[in-house]
Amino acid sequence: MADTAKSGEAIIRLENIVKRFGGAEALSGASLTVRRGSVHGLVGQNGAGKSTLIKLIAGLHRADEGTVEIDGKAYDRLTPHLVEELGVHFIHQDRLLVPTFTVGEALFLGRELRFPGTPFLDRAGMRRKSAEILERYFGLSLPHSALIAELSAAEKQIVQITRALIANPKVLVFDEPTAALVRREADLLFQLIRRLSAEGVTVLYISHYLGEIVDLCDTVTVLRNGRDVATLPVAETSAADIGALMVNRAIGELYPKPDVTPGEVVLDVENLALAGRFEAVSFRLRKGEVLGLTGLVGSGAKEVVRSLFGLDRPTGGTVRIKGETVFSADPAAATRRRLALVPEDRRRDGVALDLTVTENTTLASLDRFSRGIIDRSAERRQTENLVKRLEIKTDGVDALVKTLSGGNQQKVAIAKWLSRQSEIYLLDEPTVGVDIAAKVEIYRLIGELAERGAAVLVLSSDIEELLGVTDRILVFFRGSVTREFPSSETSPGEILADVTGAHETLRHAG
Amino acid sequence: MLVDAPYIPASVIEIEAQKAFETGKPGPAFGRQLATIALRGGALAVFIGVLVVFSVTAPFFLTVGNIGNVLGQSAIAGVLAIGLTIVIIAGGSNVVTGGIDLSLAANMGLSAAVYASLVQAGHGDGLAILGALGTGLAIGAVNAAAVTLAGIVPLLATLAVMNVVAGLELVLTQNTVVPASTDFLAALSAGGPFGIPVLAYILLGFTLVVAAIVQYTPLGLRLYAVGAFPDAARAAGLPVKSFVAGSFLASGLCGGLAGVLSVSYLSGSTTGAGDMLLPVVVTALLGTVFSRRLVPTITGTLLSALFVGFLINGFQLLNISSTLVSGVQGLLILLVVSATTLLGRKENA
Amino acid sequence: MALPSFAHGLARYALVAALAAVFALFAALAPGFLSGANLLSVLVNNFALLAIVAIAMTFAVSAGGIDLSVGTAVDFSSFAFVSLVLAGQPVALAALGGLAGGALVGLFNAVLIAGIGISPFLATLGTLFVGRSVQQLLTNGGNPVYLPPAGVPEAFRFLGHGALAGIPVPLIVTALVVAGAWVVLARTRFGRVALATGIQASVVRYSGLRLPRITAATYVLVSTIAAVVGLILTSTVTVYIPSSGNAFLLNAIGATFIGTTFDPHGRPNVPGTVLGVLLLGVVANGLLLSGLNFYWQQVGTGLLIFSVLAIGFANRKAAGRV
Repeated sequence: MADTAKSGEAIIRLENIVKRFGGAEALSGASLTVRRGSVHGLVGQNGAGKSTLIKLIAGLHRADEGTVEIDGKAYDRLTPHLVEELGVHFIHQDRLLVPTFTVGEALFLGRELRFPGTPFLDRAGMRRKSAEILERYFGLSLPHSALIAELSAAEKQIVQITRALIANPKVLVFDEPTAALVRREADLLFQLIRRLSAEGVTVLYISHYLGEIVDLCDTVTVLRNGRDVATLPVAETSAADIGALMVNRAIGELYPKPDVTPGEVVLDVENLALAGRFEAVSFRLRKGEVLGLTGLVGSGAKEVVRSLFGLDRPTGGTVRIKGETVFSADPAAATRRRLALVPEDRRRDGVALDLTVTENTTLASLDRFSRGIIDRSAERRQTENLVKRLEIKTDGVDALVKTLSGGNQQKVAIAKWLSRQSEIYLLDEPTVGVDIAAKVEIYRLIGELAERGAAVLVLSSDIEELLGVTDRILVFFRGSVTREFPSSETSPGEILADVTGAHETLRHAG
Repeated sequence: MLVDAPYIPASVIEIEAQKAFETGKPGPAFGRQLATIALRGGALAVFIGVLVVFSVTAPFFLTVGNIGNVLGQSAIAGVLAIGLTIVIIAGGSNVVTGGIDLSLAANMGLSAAVYASLVQAGHGDGLAILGALGTGLAIGAVNAAAVTLAGIVPLLATLAVMNVVAGLELVLTQNTVVPASTDFLAALSAGGPFGIPVLAYILLGFTLVVAAIVQYTPLGLRLYAVGAFPDAARAAGLPVKSFVAGSFLASGLCGGLAGVLSVSYLSGSTTGAGDMLLPVVVTALLGTVFSRRLVPTITGTLLSALFVGFLINGFQLLNISSTLVSGVQGLLILLVVSATTLLGRKENA
Repeated sequence: MALPSFAHGLARYALVAALAAVFALFAALAPGFLSGANLLSVLVNNFALLAIVAIAMTFAVSAGGIDLSVGTAVDFSSFAFVSLVLAGQPVALAALGGLAGGALVGLFNAVLIAGIGISPFLATLGTLFVGRSVQQLLTNGGNPVYLPPAGVPEAFRFLGHGALAGIPVPLIVTALVVAGAWVVLARTRFGRVALATGIQASVVRYSGLRLPRITAATYVLVSTIAAVVGLILTSTVTVYIPSSGNAFLLNAIGATFIGTTFDPHGRPNVPGTVLGVLLLGVVANGLLLSGLNFYWQQVGTGLLIFSVLAIGFANRKAAGRV
């Protein structure tokens, strides 16, 4: 464990880091100093540069400018392996455990126990020792034969943390560790973090939940637009203040929102429910209107959007599209009713990376271009028009979509539905992983859609973005709509408070 | 760029966190556990049921001599299927992009031909064994290089190697039977203690050794990690490519050993080794139902090979066309895979 | 993107160059290789039937799968054709019956793959095994079904032995299948969506297209195309031999994947597959004629497949795929 005598010195120090991807700057002069023995919170909105910063520390990215110091020594070429040797360990999501392994096997993979003097695995020993560790740190006892695949997300998370603990870490980096935990488990995690901290382990804690940060950390650094805007002792601040710092007023003017008078109701959702995910969700969406949905992971907002597009089958309630009640849970039926979904996981569901711009653009509207045989010049013309209209930057309509930047890929995903002449657009986190310039173009596009009489529903965790582009915002919490705000009469802080449960700490749990 | 990274921050992949949330319900996991037990129990029940039916209808079936014969007759296919199982463990169970070695049967053919030809040319058994095993190992090395260095998917790499190897066997033997009889070969194909063929003992001994390594050492555990979840293996600091390459070498060696056994069993090398390929693939894939976690295991593969052996044997004793065995195998594999697929789907729903 | 496109160019060049090289080599070394009669025999004996099976396979691979039961479809078609002719049905009707017999295999696969969701490799492997047993049962343990030479209608022999304007019928049928498949795969809505399915199935689903329906249609199409081979084969040899169709399987897979190196994006494509089959056919024939040991044929073929694949995959690796 760490040497407490040197407590207070910087164990991780990043100075004026600049990191560019292509043309876009993900970090533009960010600094972060984590002191030995502290529990340091790192917060910022999506796109503020948190993940880039963490990857720099993990040795997965290299800074273009600036220095990275660990334990007082500057490193030019950090590798994941070297970082671990220096005692810095990362708690990642459950994705890095072998699903067919038992807990003991997963914990000890790579440093297995053997029967002394033989080459054979001591499975009983690994089982005993892992049960011991889990019991000691988490009060958790799992069946001996339990496989990773059979564990809950929280239990997997705990196994991950235990793996790091076995290595005697100096610094533990937690990246959104409670996203998948219920309250009791989250409480256990916090107890553990406090205990580790008392034993001298330094903790860097990244979270969306401001309540947790205030509860747990002694210091917090706020990132905004690739810079650190403040590093404060938590004792001297509050969740609301931190929220205010995260919010970016500077690009507030960049939302080119046209003034559109909403027309008739085209989407009427009444008491929609999906057991275990959301319940009693009702709202109406009009022509020319832009409606915002927001909420944490698991709050039900995303699940509502999936149900509307027919990806999940709701267990109750009604959906009327242009006055007609919809029964089938089938994306094909949804698109026939001129619904469009731009999914969050763009690279998996939104665009086919190894198809060309043209092939992607016309995929949902091929019947417009084919009577038996595809009229390739017609689909090309259509694509060229859309490329021009959406200002998609590409080497040409025959370029593979994987060669485009994230923002331009997103525009292709939208172009696909413009080509289909969709009328109701469901945009799920439309600007995730997109640089500022492309974001603004996507905002402009949303405005343009509304102007042309489309109805747009934007699901986003970026609150300013929602305030900028929408007319109304619905906040989801624990599977239902808890608040509705007119976008022009509210502040980011107010919404953030409702979304994150900052009023009551750890209210998200459940 | 993200794919190979051992660590991916949650903020980049919130959708993953959400998926974890969705599948993390205790109910379906429990249901799956039950269903898994049912499936395994079902497979074992079918196995035992078949044995019972045969032993009732064909009195000779359940004699030590007959069981020994089945073991002996299953030796060659068993060794090949075990080699394939190692590749499947290290490559993952997606047969197209994951682990598969289509060159195994041809490998056995060429190794046998090398052995028989060396004996014909007047060399001793020692050199012939070295020749056969060396041939197998060399074929494994080519597969390993094609997959890990050239980056060809295993299905295609080993398909191409299979063609070359089968061609070399033809060149070597001129498509004829090359007889070979030595004392060593005779000893191999003779009967052993308790009237059970030596080949049966070899199959059991070989299974024991390989199972000990794969099922009970850190090396084996890591092999599973590499195949089941390469990212996790990489995060644990394991050299994934070396393990994959090693698995092809091991399966090549199994091909060589099967070659030696087949020379002894058939008193020489014969043509038509390629016909064993698909039955061996099915045997290895079917073996997964005999494991607690529904993963490929060495002992599961042995059971699966014996199951097929007993089916053929029983059909012969009952005078039923043994060609129906392939239908039973096919139906079984479809049933097993359908069951697991439908289970998985229910869990995700 | 300069490097990948260069590498792509190299890979495309590799297939055509390999074909040109072996052609030139055999023209120089193998007496009689260049004669019209020999080239025609290459096309009829080494090319036509394999080309049709390989094109069927190209559809399966294009949709992101594989079909190990193409041979089973060939067999079922052959069996239905022979049986119906023996039963005295008109040849045209019997031929339709043959196609239907093959399509049945595809329907079975479609249920397994699109209905239940089994991976295509395992599903079609199961079909292959079950199909083998079904044939044994239908033929009393695997006896060939002969057509008595006297009783064979002239129309029956036409598919295998006939000629139109001096061109053998099997070649004409192959040309029609090739042309049709090319159009369907490259130019129709179905071909485009199948391709998209193979490249990224989830995008197809999120685009409001019915994924299971497309997958099912693909496997039925694959088997129906393969069934054409059953008709020609039976007409040529006037006998149905159980489980003989599997002989095409591995070469069809090889040709399809060799063919992917011909596409700028490494996709399965009909012209590439045809070139792949030609390459295999020319090598087989040329080695035979050049007086080299007959058995080197297979070694040579295998090495060629191997090197073309190695170049193709190395280039895809350079382009950041796979």
